[in-house]
Amino acid sequence: MNIHLYLKVNPKTMRIRDVNKVELVKEKAIELLVELGIEGFTMAKLAKSCRISVATLYIYYKDKDDLILQIGLEETKRLSKLMLEGFDLGFSFADGLRHQWEHRAKCMLENPMSCKMIEQLRTSSYQEKIFESMMTTFKKSLGVFMKNAVINGEIDEMPMETYWSVAFGPLYSLVRFHNEGQSIGGRPFVLTDEILWTTFNLVLKAFKK
Amino acid sequence: MEINGLNVLLFKTNIRTESDKQFMTQLMQQNKISQWTVDQEDVDCVLRIVSNELQLNEVITLVIQHGYHCEELT
Repeated sequence: MNIHLYLKVNPKTMRIRDVNKVELVKEKAIELLVELGIEGFTMAKLAKSCRISVATLYIYYKDKDDLILQIGLEETKRLSKLMLEGFDLGFSFADGLRHQWEHRAKCMLENPMSCKMIEQLRTSSYQEKIFESMMTTFKKSLGVFMKNAVINGEIDEMPMETYWSVAFGPLYSLVRFHNEGQSIGGRPFVLTDEILWTTFNLVLKAFKK
Repeated sequence: MEINGLNVLLFKTNIRTESDKQFMTQLMQQNKISQWTVDQEDVDCVLRIVSNELQLNEVITLVIQHGYHCEELT
């Protein structure tokens, strides 16, 4: 959360707009959406959780739909940017995949609540509006990356879904085990760098021709 | 209350059903109020108007005149 204190004084009304409040609303909204689900989430519950009046919420958002859509879009954009930061289409297949493992793991481990919320939105009626722009961004970079790897003879041609499952399925499983604190059969689990990169090397081996 | 230099007027209403909303659409058109929404999922059916010309009391009078409940949301 942004902890910088930034007060904007509106000269017309001298009303002080606390940007921290907007950040607080966003953080609490994500928590409540995860806890209560989209159906159970209401503007009144959010206002109560933020200890602000419902009216304050309605200054920034038209309604619940508008709020979920805006926050969902902001978070998917923010996380997509984090995941693709420093990614270069000129990377070799191994380097590109390593970059993606590193950035995706970091992003998911540092933003567990946002990831849970995005997962909920993915299976909701908001899916189309929120993920359309994100998919275009990813197709442009990661889709091209996979095609280049095929053209360069680094990996075999395969359906996108096969590629995606093999490339990232193991990573998502590890992060899920870590976030839940346990793996199969309730075994306690903490994701270490060693486990992450050992698994990554196996994935890389699976793609090698 | 104000956002981006525009006034946001907020009201607690009973604009609850689809036909209430249709009626309100006509009423707003007649009064040249274009930036308005009503949150019918909310228990207070919050009416939200963005305008620099309108006053709270003008809206309350207008909506009440047509048989609806309308008070400032605080």
